[in-house]
Amino acid sequence: MEAIDSSAELELYTIPAQSSWFLWDDIHEIERREFEEFFSESSITRTPKVYKEYRDFIINKFREDTSRSLTFTSIRKFLVGDVNLLQKVFLFLDKWGLINFAPSLNDNDTLSSVDNAKIEQGTPAGIRVTATPNSLRPITAPPLVEQRTVSGIKLPPLTSYSDVFSDLKKPDDVLLCGHCAERCDSAFYQHNKSIVNLCEKCFKNGNYGGETNAAGDFKLVGDSAAAVWTEEETLLLLESVLKHGDDWELIAQSVSTKTRLDCISKLIELPFGEFLMGSTSGRLSSAVPTEDEDTEQVKTDGQEHEETEMREENEDEDGPPAKRKRVALISDSDSSLVKQVATMASKVGPSVATAAAKAAIAALCDEASCPKEIFDTGDYTDSTVDRADGDKDTDMEEQKEEKDGAQGLPVALRIKASVATALGAAAAQAKILADQEEREMEDLAATVIDQQLKKVQSKLKFLDQLELIMDAEEEVIEGGKETILQERISVLQCAFRSGVTKRWDHTYVK
Amino acid sequence: MKALGSSGWKGPVKFRMPTAENLVPIRLDIQSEGQRYKDAFTWNPSDPDNEVVVFAKRTVKDLKLPSAFITQIAQSIQSQLSDFRAFEGQDMYTGEKIIPIKLDLRVNHTLIKDQFLWDLNNFESDPEEFARTLCKDLGVEDPEVGPAVAFAIREQLYEIAIQSVASARESRLSKKGRRGSDHGSASKASGLSMDLVKLFSFKSSVVRKRKDLDVYEPVVDLLTSEEVDALEAREERHAR
Repeated sequence: MEAIDSSAELELYTIPAQSSWFLWDDIHEIERREFEEFFSESSITRTPKVYKEYRDFIINKFREDTSRSLTFTSIRKFLVGDVNLLQKVFLFLDKWGLINFAPSLNDNDTLSSVDNAKIEQGTPAGIRVTATPNSLRPITAPPLVEQRTVSGIKLPPLTSYSDVFSDLKKPDDVLLCGHCAERCDSAFYQHNKSIVNLCEKCFKNGNYGGETNAAGDFKLVGDSAAAVWTEEETLLLLESVLKHGDDWELIAQSVSTKTRLDCISKLIELPFGEFLMGSTSGRLSSAVPTEDEDTEQVKTDGQEHEETEMREENEDEDGPPAKRKRVALISDSDSSLVKQVATMASKVGPSVATAAAKAAIAALCDEASCPKEIFDTGDYTDSTVDRADGDKDTDMEEQKEEKDGAQGLPVALRIKASVATALGAAAAQAKILADQEEREMEDLAATVIDQQLKKVQSKLKFLDQLELIMDAEEEVIEGGKETILQERISVLQCAFRSGVTKRWDHTYVK
Repeated sequence: MKALGSSGWKGPVKFRMPTAENLVPIRLDIQSEGQRYKDAFTWNPSDPDNEVVVFAKRTVKDLKLPSAFITQIAQSIQSQLSDFRAFEGQDMYTGEKIIPIKLDLRVNHTLIKDQFLWDLNNFESDPEEFARTLCKDLGVEDPEVGPAVAFAIREQLYEIAIQSVASARESRLSKKGRRGSDHGSASKASGLSMDLVKLFSFKSSVVRKRKDLDVYEPVVDLLTSEEVDALEAREERHAR
């Protein structure tokens, strides 16, 4: 066997703390006690040297690959000597953890457990998923897919989807018919005196669950038959709302199983119901494809991003975007994504919204490589819709047309479209504000420059005036000079008339 | 009568199986009325003798053998036990005796070939433990393999122990009057032991040389049913 060079000893191996007595170069007391036969010098096959060789070989063999568990059988072929003795040494080393002591050798399942798919964090506070209440069909979220990228418009996992309403409808409410022992889903008839409940069918059939019960003993309790809205009914409702607007009679007719009031209440319950009824204005191309329930449950990761954007860009409800006002969030806890998108789009203006929708859809289509025509419902460029509250019908018209056109689209695509449009609208808004900021900046710069110029000008004026003064003074001084000169001359004349010599200068005069 | 010896040569001990448990290997091969009963197991010689009959009866009942087998089984066991006991009174040579033990046995579908060294002087040796470890390390699933291996080891040990008794007797006779230890000759007499002095000397290493590795490596083969049948047929042919 190749000798272990000392570099191997510099590697770190794990041994239990109680085995820290172990030394390569020496045989410890513990070992001596355990293997007296080696140290009693009673045989030639059992000597300290032999023991040390056995021990070192086994340990080194283990350390060649600490991840595998060393078996006695695998090493006994390497060593000459009584196999029982070898096994004793082996077991000794094993017991003291000098071999076969590594975390990987434990039989834990934790090491091999697969990490669950990462679930991204929940939605911002203002957005929540609402399942439509009282929906008969269990609302299933699209399969959770681990998605790390938010780039592009990908369908992220609906991680914080919670069917809040299913919690409410707990088995406490599950009523079994007293007679046929089936669930009374919708309406049920409750006996006045006892707690017997009958489902509708049984009531109609006259099975009153007991001889003594008569028809009059039962009263209709709980949700009316109209309260349970299936998906189809909701869809129908929305369609008819768009078609008929305010005409509830017609709507009730088209949604055949529900009464007028039911329709109204249902619509109000829907997240954007009020909106559809015209409480806010403007075309909402983005709202349209989300009319079916699936999209109501959509939450996107983009929302968080959106949220922050919205917070930054929110403005007053009235008037054009104020420059620096940061108003309270539109996104209070009540509104859903759709509503916010709608508000944003309404702020931005119809043409912008259209453009945003167009661009978003174009990008989407490029990505999904499906023809743009499926989105094409013709009325995108129609910008005759004004912002006022009226003209709801045309709104509905256009929306309906659009919706009709978009009917055939897969839900996912519509979701994508709506999200994309929302983002587009938000982006447009951002751009507008950015432009404003820029203009403002330019303005201010201009003012500053102006001021500087004025300063310079006044300085110049000042200097001019100084100059004038200087000139004046110069003249005066000149005059003075002349006078002095004249006086001098007259003095000289006097001097000359009186016959003073040329050499007479003032030094003589005392 | 103890022979003089230098260090390393122990005095003879009374005959016994040189294992931790003094168990006798018993082999049975009885044919009667067209049926053949082959078995091999270990027996504790300190068990009372009536246990033999009890065992025979139980075996016949379990294996649904004709009742004629009972007496035959009991007789066979008894005779082997008495053979064993015959040796018990005598001296056994004990010295450094490391012998190679070979395994070459087939148990149901498992074929085992192995060779390893065994120290006859090590009265703490345990064939059962060894067999257990072997099966565990090699992942042998057949639970019959372990006991079969242990039995094979024991049988060989038994053989050698008997031989050592004989050789001890011989050496005693031949060593009359001779001084000095001669354990080398005694060990050589058995012809099986290894040259211990050379092997465990200061200069050499106890790590086996590469060329010998294959010999001492256990080999486990799993046979298919056809192979098993073929082998069995061959064995029977050899037996006759």
